Amino acid sequence: MSFFEDNLSRLMQNNPALASALRQSGTGRLEIVQARSGVPSARANGRWIHSAYDPIKEAQAWAESQSYQDGETIVLFGLGLLYQVEALCARLPRTAAVVLAVPDPSALADAAAARAWGDWMDRVVWAWGTAEAIGEQIASAGHPIRLVAYAPAASLHAESHRIIETILQRKVAAQAGGQLRIAVVGPIYGGSLPITRYAVSALKSLGHHVRWLDPSVHATSYHQLELLKNSQHRLALQSKYAEMLSRITMAQLAEDPPDLVLSLAQAPLILPMLEHLRRKRFLTAMWFVENYRHLTYWQQLAAGYDFWFVIQREHCMAALKQAGAKDVRYLPMAADPSVHRPLELTQAEREEYGSDVSFVGAGYANRRAIFPQLLNHEWKFKLWGNEWDGATELSSVLQRNGARIDTDTCQKVFNASAVNLNLHSWAGAGLDPNGDFVNPRTFELAACGAFQLSDRRSLMPDLLAANEIATVSSSGELPGAIARWLREPEQRLAMAANARRRVLAEHTYAHRMRDLLSQVGVASPDRIGAILRGARQAEALASTAADSFPVLASTLRTFPPTQRVELKQLAAQIRSRGPAGTLSREDLMLLMLDEYRSETKDLV
Amino acid sequence: MTSRALIIQLARLGDLVQSLPVITSLAARYPHRSLDLLCPAPLANLARLFPRVGQVLEWNGPRWHAWAKSFVGEFQHSWLREVEQYLTELTSDPYEMAYVLNQHPRAFLAGALLASEVQGPHLRGPLDEELSPWASYLRRVAQVRGSNRIHLSDAFCGLCGVTPLPVPPFLMPPSNDPPGDLAEVGISAGQWIAVVVGAGDADRSIPVAVWIEWISLLLAHGSPCSVVLVGASRDQTVAHAVQEGLSPLMAGRLWDAVGRTTLPQLATLLKRCHWAVGADTGPLHLATAVGTRAMGLYFSRARVHETGPYGQGHWVWQADRAVPETWPIQASVKMIRDPATVSQQEPVAGWSLWQSHYDEWGAVFRPVGEGDSQEDQRAAIWRQLSEQRMLLQGVQ
Repeated sequence: MSFFEDNLSRLMQNNPALASALRQSGTGRLEIVQARSGVPSARANGRWIHSAYDPIKEAQAWAESQSYQDGETIVLFGLGLLYQVEALCARLPRTAAVVLAVPDPSALADAAAARAWGDWMDRVVWAWGTAEAIGEQIASAGHPIRLVAYAPAASLHAESHRIIETILQRKVAAQAGGQLRIAVVGPIYGGSLPITRYAVSALKSLGHHVRWLDPSVHATSYHQLELLKNSQHRLALQSKYAEMLSRITMAQLAEDPPDLVLSLAQAPLILPMLEHLRRKRFLTAMWFVENYRHLTYWQQLAAGYDFWFVIQREHCMAALKQAGAKDVRYLPMAADPSVHRPLELTQAEREEYGSDVSFVGAGYANRRAIFPQLLNHEWKFKLWGNEWDGATELSSVLQRNGARIDTDTCQKVFNASAVNLNLHSWAGAGLDPNGDFVNPRTFELAACGAFQLSDRRSLMPDLLAANEIATVSSSGELPGAIARWLREPEQRLAMAANARRRVLAEHTYAHRMRDLLSQVGVASPDRIGAILRGARQAEALASTAADSFPVLASTLRTFPPTQRVELKQLAAQIRSRGPAGTLSREDLMLLMLDEYRSETKDLV
Repeated sequence: MTSRALIIQLARLGDLVQSLPVITSLAARYPHRSLDLLCPAPLANLARLFPRVGQVLEWNGPRWHAWAKSFVGEFQHSWLREVEQYLTELTSDPYEMAYVLNQHPRAFLAGALLASEVQGPHLRGPLDEELSPWASYLRRVAQVRGSNRIHLSDAFCGLCGVTPLPVPPFLMPPSNDPPGDLAEVGISAGQWIAVVVGAGDADRSIPVAVWIEWISLLLAHGSPCSVVLVGASRDQTVAHAVQEGLSPLMAGRLWDAVGRTTLPQLATLLKRCHWAVGADTGPLHLATAVGTRAMGLYFSRARVHETGPYGQGHWVWQADRAVPETWPIQASVKMIRDPATVSQQEPVAGWSLWQSHYDEWGAVFRPVGEGDSQEDQRAAIWRQLSEQRMLLQGVQ
C-alpha cells in the first residue's frame, strides 16, 4: 500500500470527513524533494518548507524552542510534511492537546503522499474547512489556547491564519472577565498625552486596575531645558532627563509590578530599561499612535517591547520587524464618547465657535498651502489652533490669534461647525499621496455627531464607509466639495449620524483596548490570557487546586469568588490568622515563596 | 529522646563558622542524637568539615527566588508540586527538632517545614512575633549594643538551650595541598600572614591604601614574613589594586589566593598561616575555627564583643567610630613582628585594643593595658535568660 493510502486509512478512523476531503483535493501544492539525509523535504513557491539537509533534526530543534504550560491546547499553524508535528508530540506530555489547522487539504494530501505518518496521529485533532470554520472549531476547544506557527509552512496560508487568530481574539475578548493590573506610561507632553488619558479611561471602564505613570508632571522642568541656548548642552541634558524619567518609571513599576506595561508613543522608557524589564519578566506593549515616517525613534526601541501596536499597516509593520520588533499589530485610532460627544450649545457659544467651515489643528505645510484657496468664498471659514506663525494670508480667519485650543473648545467647534475640515498633516504642498493612517480627529468628529470632510486615506474604507464620511482625493476638489455639502444639510446630518453610530459601535478607545488586550491574551495564553479568562480568580483557582492541595483550596475559598488572587494575597490571608493560627505545610510553602517574592523587585 | 535534629543557619560564611560552638555543644549535650545542618548551598562543602555534623542539607536560595519570580503575577498552584518535591529531597521524614539560629522569617519557615518542633528565636509558630528570651536579648544588643559581653556564638548556644563547651571547638581542614602555587604557602620559614582584603559589605572593607601601607610595613626591612591575600572572587579587583600599590621587590613574598580557592581549600590555606588579619569577615572567622591566630580591625557596625574572633588569644583593634580617620598600622604590624611588645603598646588615637579569653561562659574580650570599664555580667545574664526560658517551657 502507498503512503497515501496507508495514511488515509488511519485518518479515516478518527476524521473520515477530512480523509475524504484529502482524497478529492488532489495534490501538487508542495514540491517534494529528497533531503540530503535521505528523507523527503518540500518546497512551495520556490521556497523550502523544511530543511534541504535534515528535516527531522530541524523539526526537533523547532519543537524544543516552543513554550508549553500544563493544561494548554497547542494549535499549530503550518503543517508542511508534518515533521514538526511529530517532533512536537514527542516533546509534549501525552496529556497535551494538539490541534492542527488545515486551511488547504491539498497541501496535506501532498504530505500524506510523501511519508508515513506516525502514532502522533492518534493524539491530534484536525481543524479544517474555511478559515472561519477552523477558527470556530479551535475556539470551541475551551482550553487555554497557545497558537504556534511553523513559519515556513504557515506563510503559505497567512490570510487564513489571520482570520483564525481574529476569531480567537474575539473569543478572548468575549470571555474576558478577569481583572488585569496595567501600568500605562504616557508621554511627557504632546499629542499622545490626551490619547493616554482616553486609553486609561477605557481600560478602567473595562474593569481593569489601571495605574497611570504620568511623566507629564515633569513637563515644566523638561521644557526649561529647551531654553538652553547651547544645543550640545540642551540635547545632552534632555537625554539625561529622559533617562531619569525612565528610571523613575522603573521605580514606580518595581513598587507594584503590573501584569502589563502599556506605553503610549513618546513614553520615556529607553531601550536598556525595556531590556531590563524583559529580564524581570515584565510584559510590555507600545501603542505607537504616531506616523512612523515622521517620528523615527521607534527604530531604537523596536526590540525593547514585547508587542507593538501601530496605526499603519504593511510598510510600517515590516519596518518595525526589520528593526527588531517581535510582534507588530495594527490598532487604529479611536474616540472617547465621554469626551467626544454631541453638545447642547448656547446661542452665544454657537456664535463664538460656529461657522460654515472650520478647521482645528496645527499649521503644517500642506494646510498652509491649501487653506488660502478656501478664503473669499460665500462661506464663513474659521481656523483654530496653533503653530500658524507666518501664515499671514490666513490671519483673517485664524481664531484667538493662533492660541492652542483645549479639548473642550475643540468639541464646541466640532459641534458648532457645518463642515469640519479634516486634513491629515503632511510636510508637502497638497494632500499626502501616501496617506494611509486615519487620525484621531476623524473618530472624534464622528463621535461628536459632526459632519466632516476629510482627505482620502488608504486605511479609511476599513474604518468608515462612504455613507459615513465625505472625502476628497485632491486639494483642488475641496472648494467644490465644501460648496456641495453646505447646500445639502440633511445629507450632512444623515452622514454625521451614520458616522457616530459606527464609531460608537466599533471605534471607541474601549474597543481598541479590548482588542489590544485580547491580542496580547491570545499571544500570551499563560499570563495575560489566563487572567482575562478569569483563571486567576479565587473560585477558578480553588476548583483546580481542590484535589492536590485541599488546604490551599479552602484558603482560596475565603476570598470573594471573582477576586483575582496571587501569591501576595494568599500570603496576606494566611498571615491574618495571627500568631496562634494553625499553619499547614501548604501554608508554610506559600509563606516561604512570598518571602522570596518580596525580594524580587530589584529593578532600580 | 529525640533521635534526629537539624540546625538551621541560612546566613553567610561568618555566621556559619560562628555556629560551630553551638553545634558541638548540642552534640555533646545529646550524644545519641544525629545532628544535621541546613545551610546555603555554596557553603555546604565547608559545613561538611564541621565536627559532629551528620548530613549537610543544601538550601538553594536561587531556586526559591526562581519559583517566587514564576509565581509573581501568574500564580499556579501546580508549581507547589515542585516545591514539595524539593523539600522531600531535603528530607523525606520531618526532623523531630529544628534549631533555628537566624532571626529571619525564611529560617523560621524552613524550620517549620522540615521539623515537627522548632526551637529558636520565636516562642511559638512562624507567625508569632513574640521572641524567646535569648532572641529578645540579641535584638536588644543589636539595637542598643550597651555593655554586652556575650559573644554571638555563645548566644547561639543560649538560644538552643545549651552552654558553651569548656574549650572552644575547631574544625579540621582537608590535608591536601591548595591549588597551584598556593601549595607553597606555609612551607618556608618565617611568619605567614593571611590578609583578608575584602568584606561582604563595602562599608566594612578596609581601604586599599591602608592595606598597601600595612603590607609594605610588614614586609619591609628584610622581615621574615610572607603574605597571602585571601577573599572571594568579588574581592579580586581589590586584591589587584593592593598588589599594584606594592613595591615589585615584595613580589616574592606575596601570594594572591583571592577567588582561587574553594572554601575547604581556603580553610587549609588559613590553617597553614600563623596569623589572619582583616575586618569582621567570614575568612577571619574561618581562620580562628582552624586554629590560626586572628587580628581583627573592627569598625563600621562590627563590634568586638559580639563578633570578635572566637576562642582564646585573638586580638581586635576596635575603632571608636564607624569610619576611622586613622588606622593602627604601625602598632598592629609591630604586634605580629614582635609579639613580646604587646603589653608595651602605646595607645592609638581612635582605637582600642582587645584580646580574647575563654571561660565557662564562652569567649570574652578584655582590653589590653587596663581593666574593662564594664562589669562582666555574663553569668547573671545567662542565669536570668535561662530561668526565663525554663519558665516559659514550664508554662507551655
